[in-house]
Amino acid sequence: MTALATTVNVMHHAFRAGLADYRAIFTWKSWLAGWMVRVIAQVAFFALIGERLGDDQKTFYLLVGNSILIAAVTGIFSLNMTTGERWAGTLPLLVASPSSPILVFSARGSYLAADGALSALAALFIAGPLFGMELPWPRVLAVVPLTAVVGLASYCFGTFLAGIVFRFRSINGLVVLTVTVLLMAACGVNVPLSYYPEALEWFSRVLPVTNGLLAIRGVLDGADTATILGNAALEAAVAVGWMTLALASFNRLASRGRRDGSLDYGA
Amino acid sequence: MRTFAAGYRLQFRVIRSDPDYLMPLATIPLFAVVFLAIVRHAGRDDLTEYALLAPVLIALWQLSLTVAGEIIADDRWQGTLEPAIAAPASFPTLVVGRVLAVTSVALVAFVEVWAVGAGLFGVSVEFHHPVAFVLAVGATALAMSGTALIMAALFVVTRSARTFQNSLSYPFYVLGGILVPVSFLPEWVQPASSAVFLSWSADLLRDSLAPAAVDNLAYRLAMVVVLGAAGFAVGRLTLERILRRVRRTGEVGLA
Repeated sequence: MTALATTVNVMHHAFRAGLADYRAIFTWKSWLAGWMVRVIAQVAFFALIGERLGDDQKTFYLLVGNSILIAAVTGIFSLNMTTGERWAGTLPLLVASPSSPILVFSARGSYLAADGALSALAALFIAGPLFGMELPWPRVLAVVPLTAVVGLASYCFGTFLAGIVFRFRSINGLVVLTVTVLLMAACGVNVPLSYYPEALEWFSRVLPVTNGLLAIRGVLDGADTATILGNAALEAAVAVGWMTLALASFNRLASRGRRDGSLDYGA
Repeated sequence: MRTFAAGYRLQFRVIRSDPDYLMPLATIPLFAVVFLAIVRHAGRDDLTEYALLAPVLIALWQLSLTVAGEIIADDRWQGTLEPAIAAPASFPTLVVGRVLAVTSVALVAFVEVWAVGAGLFGVSVEFHHPVAFVLAVGATALAMSGTALIMAALFVVTRSARTFQNSLSYPFYVLGGILVPVSFLPEWVQPASSAVFLSWSADLLRDSLAPAAVDNLAYRLAMVVVLGAAGFAVGRLTLERILRRVRRTGEVGLA
């Protein structure tokens, strides 16, 4: 088997393991009655703030931002994977195997990016009309791939963070919780980036969501194609950047864990 | 009462050794930034109190529900669930005491939110009706603990309760009108909101911060307490029924 075929084989099995995980968490009934109800309620909660402010444009701004944020929140859940492996006692086996752990993790959790994008789009296409928002046809179709890029970028960011918290599993839950609300606060989800100090605006540009959300708002507001593509390209670059950093952090931390035998016993 | 107090004391000790229980408090300043940014960017400074109160209610709700579930899960993991259930003391009362301990600590969220408001946005809140405010906070904390017992009951009977636990946040933030009053919801939703104690709590807390006199204070406080007590009754009944069943089937640690 060639190196490429081996890699594809490992990723294929990891993806199937991820799907099995997902099926253990959700049935289609609990996904609809639990997860989707929460997602629609989350978007409605923020859209209602817009209604309270008495401004339709604000309502739509909040609705779009918080719908797309769902893709990011789900992507960030990839952080839970290393902790899950650790609890299950499979992390040392994974690191000891000849494959790179990052290959397994990146494939195993990729369903999160797909699930996130699907949930975000469902939220937008259900909550949008409920609040009287017009979704310009057929331009709105461009939102679908853009949301997928946001989900992917968030997943890459989550995988990078998983590498960072690899040795500190006790803060895993804390990181998941704070990062998801941080993205909500800093990425132009609820107020334009210009509201915050310039330094924060630059910082938010290297986070997932920010650039992709600007591209999506551009599609819905009828911005020119070059602006939309520029923001989409930036979001894709953010995804590549975080995945590159994830590769570096995972392998280094895995090597350290092998050396000092701490994979099972990190704080 | 002794069981309740013992649960309360026990949980404080648990929190001291495992601060993970308080994890949601880390997100509260960020929620405050989000809500304050929204209302102030829109030029609606009159909604500042709304933006400051909502994160506190989120903290209370998240901690109560999460902890109620985690108590059962952790006891099961440590093998202490069976002896706790076998003891002559009332298990539901013990759980409520433990949840109330965490809810009490969650009141730290007030300090966090006020610090964010003053430090980052230069806003402060005037307590126009401090007595009404304190009473409303106390009644809310009690009602939270009572309601959380339902989640504890679900955790005894199924491990997949965590899936739903995660889904019980925003639907109740909407129904409870924690930031947007219930009157902004569609008419067909409003009766359901009236059955959620959060909607009474949120309105009462907001009114206690406003300059105008608080109408029907006693009635509204009573509604918070009654709805919380109803949650406790349902939770207790469910929990006792489930405990009888799992004792009989030997599934306490396995469900």
